[in-house]
Parts: sequence; C-alpha cells; structure tokens
Amino acid sequence: MLSGPCRQVTSALLGRRPLAASVGAAAWSRAVHLAGPRPASDSAGPSQASPPSGFDAALLDVLVCPLSKKPLRYEMSTNELINEELGIAYPIIDGIPNMIPQAARMIHQNKQQEEKEQE
Amino acid sequence: MVVCRSRALGQLSGRGWKRALLSLRPPWAWVRPLSNGKPKADTHFGFETVSEEEKGDKVYHVFESVAKKYDVMNDSMSLGIHRLWKDLLLQKMHPFSGTKLLDVAGGTGDIAFRFLNYIKAQNQRRQQRELKSHQNLSFGDIAKWYQNSRCSLGESHVVVCDINKEMLKVGKQKAQTLGHKKGLAWVVGDAEELPFDDDKFDVYTIAFGIRNVTHIDRALQEAHRVLKPGGRFLCLEFSQVNNPIISRLYDLYSFQVIPVMGEVIAGDWKSYQYLVESIRRFPPQEEFKEMIEDAGFQKVAYESLTSGIVAIHSGFKL
Repeated sequence: MLSGPCRQVTSALLGRRPLAASVGAAAWSRAVHLAGPRPASDSAGPSQASPPSGFDAALLDVLVCPLSKKPLRYEMSTNELINEELGIAYPIIDGIPNMIPQAARMIHQNKQQEEKEQE
Repeated sequence: MVVCRSRALGQLSGRGWKRALLSLRPPWAWVRPLSNGKPKADTHFGFETVSEEEKGDKVYHVFESVAKKYDVMNDSMSLGIHRLWKDLLLQKMHPFSGTKLLDVAGGTGDIAFRFLNYIKAQNQRRQQRELKSHQNLSFGDIAKWYQNSRCSLGESHVVVCDINKEMLKVGKQKAQTLGHKKGLAWVVGDAEELPFDDDKFDVYTIAFGIRNVTHIDRALQEAHRVLKPGGRFLCLEFSQVNNPIISRLYDLYSFQVIPVMGEVIAGDWKSYQYLVESIRRFPPQEEFKEMIEDAGFQKVAYESLTSGIVAIHSGFKL
C-alpha cells in the first residue's frame, strides 16, 4: 500500500534519480513521519542531571501517599513527591518514584533525615 | 488491650470503618502496623522461622541479589514454561483497549510487556479490519492511517509496582530494549500499603509475588481497595500439586536441582533454596481462595496449571 511514496523515497536515498520538487518533498516528509517518533517531540523538561524521564503527570493522578492516602504534589526542583499534611517527601530516582514510607524524608526539620537504605 | 481497642475505635471514623466491616477480623487486628501496639509475631521465611520485620528485609535482599539474573533463572528453572503460564494469565485476563492494569510485584515487567503487546495486537487487528472495509483510499489517506496506527495503545496503561528498586531497574531497561515507550509507569511501593488511590484500576495482577509478602491478607485488602468496582483480581502463583507421582518428581527437582542451578547460573544457592521452600509454605488452592474471599472479592475461582504446580486465582470486586 505504501509502494508509491516508499519507492520514491528509497530511490532518492539511493541517489538514483532526483526527486521531483513538490511530490518528492511531500513524500519525503511523510516518510520522515513514518520513520518513527521524532526525538525532539518530548517536552523540554528541567535540565537536571537525571531528568524525570518517564515520570509523567499521568502517574500523579493515581499516586497518593501510602500512609495517609492523600494526593501528592510534584516538586520539580528537588524531584520529589511531597505530602504537605504529613510533611514528608518521597524521592524520585531514575524516573521511578520510591513510595516506601521508610524512604521518605521529613521536610519540616532543618537537617534532612538520613534516608534509610532498607527499602 | 484497652489501649488497642480505643485506638481501633478511633479508626472506625473515616475510611477505617468500611474496611473493618468488610473483614471479619477481631478488633485488635484493626490497628495499623505503624503503631507500636502490635505484638511482635513470627512468620516463615522458607522453612526458617523469622520475625515479621526480618522477613521483609530478607526477601528484599533475596531479590536484590537475583535481580540481574532473574529472567535467565526463570527460563532455566521452569524450562521456559513460565512463559506459557504468563501467556495463559493474559489470555484469562483478555484485556481490551482502555484497560488500566496494576501489576504488583511486577519487577522485571513480564506481565506488563505481555499486556502492552496484547493490546497493541488487538488494536492493530481492529484497525486492519477497518481499513479493509474502506474502498478507494488515496496514498495520502493510507499514509496518514499508518501514522496514526503508531500509537496504537489508546487509553490503556499499566503501572508496575514492586518493593525492590533493582528489579524495577532491570524491568525499565528491558522496556527500553523491547521498545515499549508509552503506557508504562514504574513505582517502588509496598504491596501491603499501596501508594494508589481507591477505585483506580481495572485489573490487578500479582504474578509469583504474593508468597513473598509478609502479610498476605493486607496485600489482598489493598488489592480490593485500589480496584474499581467491577475490577478483576488475578494471581498467578505456585500452588499444590494434585498428582502424587508428579509431586514426588517435583519435590526432587525443586530441592536437588534448583538450588544447584541457582549456584551455577546466579551464584546464589541460598536465594533459590528460599524460593523452593517458600513455594512449599504457600497455602494450597482452596485455602488461598478463602483468603481472597475474606478480603471481599466475589466469584473467586482458580485454575490449576501443569497439574497444580501453578494456579491462577481470580476474583472480582463487585
């Protein structure tokens, strides 16, 4: 079914014959579309060392604090999910939120509570 | 005891009362584990007896050490049959486009990937049927159709939850290798205290994970909580073999061959010793079915596979 534009594109790629201006350009752009998802299509998130790749806002709809079952707020600067009520923050490591209560840190204290490495 | 009861009564207000009424457990069991009033109990870790706190840690370390070789070991130990079991689980689930799945103890993502492939294949078949019914399409239309069929997942989504970061990391890498970009989310969470809101998921699966949970009843209750009304609970787990001859062969294989394989392939005898022991400790089909019913599920049924080596339990939240 795609033989028409496909043939034009492949022959253009092989450099056998030059693409006719309008048709070729249209076919080329269509082929680029079909080639795969464009790499620049992801929205430019905050440029941190490990960007919250894969942590999408869709998760925020379902995620709640495991202790109080209340919704969380995503804090982009520290890359954490914050429960204001209890004053705790769950870290997001490599785009995977860690929702184990032992891994959360208290935010009301001035010095950070050491994250327990148990879980 | 008086203190416990008053705290339990306090929990009757709010969301505690619904859960308390549903489960017919004695009052002192209503107290949540974060409080210090719960008496320290012992449980099993394979054939050992350990305290409940220890079990969680020990299980965590088992999976932390086997994470990288998990898939290889699964293939060697079950001679590849675990793939069939997981395929059968998906067939039983028979998801349709738009299903929201929660895969607990999903670790390396086997169930999640199968789910995504199933939905994609289903959507592609449907779109091909639609396309065949259209006549006289121009090349532009056909190209546009193929473009749209790229993201053929629709609203379907799967959240993989596991208590172990290492297993999830392996799973995430696998997802990248296999090319699953959309419709997938990874969360570190405890099956006994799921970080998800009520009534959120259409299907809850736990494959070969529930026997590692310290408090199975709590995990079942959490499963009941996060499912939408009409949602389905599916559990694929090792169970009791019903045939005596096969049972003896299975025991021989489990205790003589598997730990050795574990040592040779993964360099870890003890973890695989734990694995085969934990299988023996898990309740048989009928007992587990009753536990599921206690959590509030209805129409609970099970299907034994491979003469009972594994069983798929299914229940509905109605």
